[in-house]
Amino acid sequence: MQLGTRIRAVALASAGLFVVAACGGNNSTPSLNLAPAAQQILRVNTGVEPNSFDPTQQTYTYEAAVGRNTFQSLLQPKADLSDVQPAAATKYDVSSDGLTYTFHLQPNAKWSDGKSVTASDWVYGYQHFLNPALAAGYVDPFFDTTIAGAGNYGNVDVSSASAIDSYLSGLGLSAPDANTFVIKLAHPAAYFKWVVTLWVAVPLRKDIVESAAGGTFPSTDTTKAETWANNANTIVGNGPFKISEIASKDHVTMVPNTNYWGGTAKLQQIIYYYISDGNTEFSKYQTGALDIANVPLADVTVVRGDSTLSKQAHLYPQLTAFWMTFNTTKAPFDNAKVRLAFAKSIDRDKLANDVQHGTAKGLASFIPNGMAGYDTSDNNQSFDAAAAKKLLSDAGVTADTLNKYKLLTRNSTGSKTLNQFIVDQWNTNLGLNIQLDVIDSKTVTSRIRKGNFDIYGPDGWGADYPDQQDWMDIFVSGSCHSLNWGCPTLAGYDALVQKADTELSQSQRNADYLTAQKMLIDQAAVAFMYQPYEYDLVASYVNITHTAFDDQFAPGDQNYFTAYITTH
Amino acid sequence: MAVIAGRPNRGALLPSRLSALSSTRAGSLTIFIVRRILWMIPIVFFVILITFFLMHLAPGSPWDRGGGRELSASVRHNLDLKYGLNKPEYQQFELYLWNVAHFDFGLSYQYEGKTVTKLIGEGIPYTATLGTLAFLIIVPVGIGLGVLAALRQNTRTDYVVMGFATGAASFPNFVVGALMVVVFSVEMARWTDHSFFLPAADFGVDDHLIMPVITLALLPIAYTARLTRASTLDTIRQDYIRTAWAKGLPERLVVLKHVLKNSLIPVVTTLGPTFAFLVTGSVIVETVFNIPGIGRAFVVAVTSRDYPMILGTTVLFSVVIAVANLVVDVLYVFIDPRVRLS
Amino acid sequence: MALAAPVQQAVEWEVAEQQIGLWQDAWHRFRRNPLAVAGAVLVVFLVLVAFLSPVLVHLGLIIDPIKQEVEHIEASPGQFGHPLGTDELGRDTLSRLMYGSRISLSVGILVQGIILPIGLAIGLAAGYFGGRIDNLLMRITDIWYAFPDLIFVLVLVSVFGPSLLSIFGAIALVNWVNLARLVRGQVLAIKEKEYIEAARSSGSPPIKLILKHLLPNALGPIIVTVVFGIPQAIFLEAALSFLGVGIQPPTPTWGQMVFDGYEAIYANPTSVVFPALAIGFTLLAFSFIGDGLRDALDPRMRR
Repeated sequence: MQLGTRIRAVALASAGLFVVAACGGNNSTPSLNLAPAAQQILRVNTGVEPNSFDPTQQTYTYEAAVGRNTFQSLLQPKADLSDVQPAAATKYDVSSDGLTYTFHLQPNAKWSDGKSVTASDWVYGYQHFLNPALAAGYVDPFFDTTIAGAGNYGNVDVSSASAIDSYLSGLGLSAPDANTFVIKLAHPAAYFKWVVTLWVAVPLRKDIVESAAGGTFPSTDTTKAETWANNANTIVGNGPFKISEIASKDHVTMVPNTNYWGGTAKLQQIIYYYISDGNTEFSKYQTGALDIANVPLADVTVVRGDSTLSKQAHLYPQLTAFWMTFNTTKAPFDNAKVRLAFAKSIDRDKLANDVQHGTAKGLASFIPNGMAGYDTSDNNQSFDAAAAKKLLSDAGVTADTLNKYKLLTRNSTGSKTLNQFIVDQWNTNLGLNIQLDVIDSKTVTSRIRKGNFDIYGPDGWGADYPDQQDWMDIFVSGSCHSLNWGCPTLAGYDALVQKADTELSQSQRNADYLTAQKMLIDQAAVAFMYQPYEYDLVASYVNITHTAFDDQFAPGDQNYFTAYITTH
Repeated sequence: MAVIAGRPNRGALLPSRLSALSSTRAGSLTIFIVRRILWMIPIVFFVILITFFLMHLAPGSPWDRGGGRELSASVRHNLDLKYGLNKPEYQQFELYLWNVAHFDFGLSYQYEGKTVTKLIGEGIPYTATLGTLAFLIIVPVGIGLGVLAALRQNTRTDYVVMGFATGAASFPNFVVGALMVVVFSVEMARWTDHSFFLPAADFGVDDHLIMPVITLALLPIAYTARLTRASTLDTIRQDYIRTAWAKGLPERLVVLKHVLKNSLIPVVTTLGPTFAFLVTGSVIVETVFNIPGIGRAFVVAVTSRDYPMILGTTVLFSVVIAVANLVVDVLYVFIDPRVRLS
Repeated sequence: MALAAPVQQAVEWEVAEQQIGLWQDAWHRFRRNPLAVAGAVLVVFLVLVAFLSPVLVHLGLIIDPIKQEVEHIEASPGQFGHPLGTDELGRDTLSRLMYGSRISLSVGILVQGIILPIGLAIGLAAGYFGGRIDNLLMRITDIWYAFPDLIFVLVLVSVFGPSLLSIFGAIALVNWVNLARLVRGQVLAIKEKEYIEAARSSGSPPIKLILKHLLPNALGPIIVTVVFGIPQAIFLEAALSFLGVGIQPPTPTWGQMVFDGYEAIYANPTSVVFPALAIGFTLLAFSFIGDGLRDALDPRMRR
């Protein structure tokens, strides 16, 4: 597929930035200076214990960090995120109508217990994932709106095994032979190749699942369906690593899967710890108990000023963006000029450099830097206090009207700090006196779902995969009250995005998505704020490959198969 | 029973029909214990009732992700069906009570497939370790300081000890914890260039225990020291003590034999509240030091609206405290010869 | 379960004929107790700070506590004209500490103001009337005592919104138990005395008996308990901030400052130390006052 020249330039430049070998400058030399096997141990803190070791049920980044190493999906993103590349499938064909995807599996792919991975394992895995009774978090909207027959996912009677079974057998999944896995879609979707890269779309071993459950079980029994995931012995995956030890509340250990089709990893152990306190993690890195650590925001200046630590620190961009959401269903936020005034009165540079200590970059557009669609040509939302004031007076809205509105804030330190700054910006630059409304997180979610708020933030999105579809769909009117909390109505947006989603020509899609992004910016659907980066310490003897699409705090976890420790 | 402020006069509830049985001390003790255990049931029931309905009053459902990827409406509906959250509240409550009677506290909403019983079981060792260690410190230190202060009443020793006790009781445990972390983790690490310092968080059977246990024990020590001092002073003023002193018996002998024995009586009454302090103190201390015990599990459950977990831990807390109070009351019967049960 | 301050022992003492003499006597004893006096001085100082800080800001003598200086985030004491440094948004720590005293003192005193009538009424009724009322009330307090006050407060504040009123109300509602039990105990101790018997047999109505004879004689320990309740309430408010059910930012409260400062504990430990010490010493001052009052009102604690 053809990439637009500008986007290719951005992607290549990003590739140059983002493929980091964190090993003191030594980079792709013939002698790798490998440490002996006893030292090939990578210790990382993922912060929270996974709720489940079943990749189909994993929704958080700290869970996916395990899932994507113990299992492997059909395809994976290229390092520069420009396209997908083979993973568990060597290649795939798309029918001319865009409805049939034929995946040719790796011929010698094996499970960690030595058995071969067959296409029927893939069918079983996808069916397990799409079982409505399990309520996996990532089914909707990626899979239930694409795969043929999956559309009824939310309406299946989960108390009836026969209803579930007929739903599952009606899905467009088939295994014509042991090495071919075919998925039929309900409608063309050019982004589907990205959907199958998600860590949740993996094969599963029916025999192991059933034997762990003590025999066959009805599709309604979700406890039995997950028994296998509670014990390291029964977690058999097709990924480059396998779990050797689950130490509840403390850590999980992975060792190489010697049966992996791609060979044996150089790392002999990966240990994920569950240290939830950022300061403890930082302190453990400094004593050598961790090899990679995230620098807490408050300690960023300390690390920058330290001669040793600053050399081990890396600023990795995240494919994430944050914005402020306005409730456009009531005045005065139904007026685009008012929203634009708010957007233009935020000094993003101060936010990024001071409040976030340089671990963020201001973003006055939507798609973040590092993936296709990043474009900063439209600066209608950039900081301009004078213009902001003028917009407000043009809209005829006075301070008195606005001062009774509140900024709904989640009760976490990060949210509170950021929002106090934002409110201070609005009050200073627009002459207002807006207050915060700090509430515990669950209540906030229930309120925004009901539309019971004036302004809410920070709202944001992290890319599930580096395709614009994942982002643009947030603001369609159908997502009002589910992702598009403020429900802004933009003429022509829905049709444009839908066209781009189903369009098969990549260049046309890029152009359409660009136009859609302009709509969002110019009409201030939301007030875009910044793109966060991640400030991580990586020990000098650790060699990882990082892509912009890494998940938080376990940098390089998409490529731990090629990571290694050098002598030290 | 001797009437002491703050202690309910439970013994006075004995109906006259049972007075024949109560003619023996052992008999009346048994009745007393049985009555108390029976009383625990309605108390626990009401605790569950109030907790249950209050919890459901709070907005927000267990399936709200709180900032991550939200589940779609239909999935949430399915989850509600699966866990019976769509039924009317009183039905859910009945179902819950029925299950509790079978020791089934249900599945946690946060952790796939894990029962509340299992989660609580996982948390108990941590909380129990901290609590037991704290208790082992509280009793000797608290009582010792209290007796010392009483014997040296109104001297500098007294002021220092009581000042310390008041200070320890005044500084909230999270404040103490935070200050200790500053001194023994942050600053020590800085001075020794990261070679020697106490760990600021997490659990381990090593120096990880020092700061959490001390933080947990400080308030009960202060409380126990105070009360011991007051009751020791009471005892000292008794005439027979004065007589012993006047006779010239060595102070140590007098102290050990008479004062301690009688001062312990009201101190036993501190054991009940001490237990309560340890249980509630664990909530904050475990949060500050990131220890995966029941206290922290409770806080996390509340903020995640994990209803079964909230109820399970609440039941556990109330039963533990009720049992502790019962044990204290029974011990009291044995220690204080003046106590009568009718 | 209330995170309780020490429960007071019953003070059994004969009532002096002249109550005026008792109070004067108590005052003298209080004044001679150095710790109590120190506590009182500190509290008076805090009250002054609480009242004067808005004036000082108006006069420009201290920096506005909500003014952000994001270029000077987490400054150390003395840097950039901030005597005690700045917080995570560059706001002056000293002025935030001073403003924090307003919240802490209001919480402590107002909550006791709510508790006092509730605890008094219930304790008096339970102690005097006894019987079924006593049983019922004591069972209620049993349940209340076994109740996690944390969840109660969290839910109340979630339902009614984190306003000052709901937070105060919630804290007060979970802590009236101590006072009620103490009052009850006092009444039980005093009610069998001869002068009460005399008054009763002379036909005094119960209310008059309670208010005129029982209550004044039980007043000492009640006052002490109420005073000890103040640091307890301040503590709860600060603890609530730890779980984020506290007073809304940007209003500074000490508890919130400790919590927010904990994040920066390695970079700038003083952001935790100062508010922590503020909480601790304030509670200490009230405890010394309480101790002093108790010693002063108890004729047995003689030098």
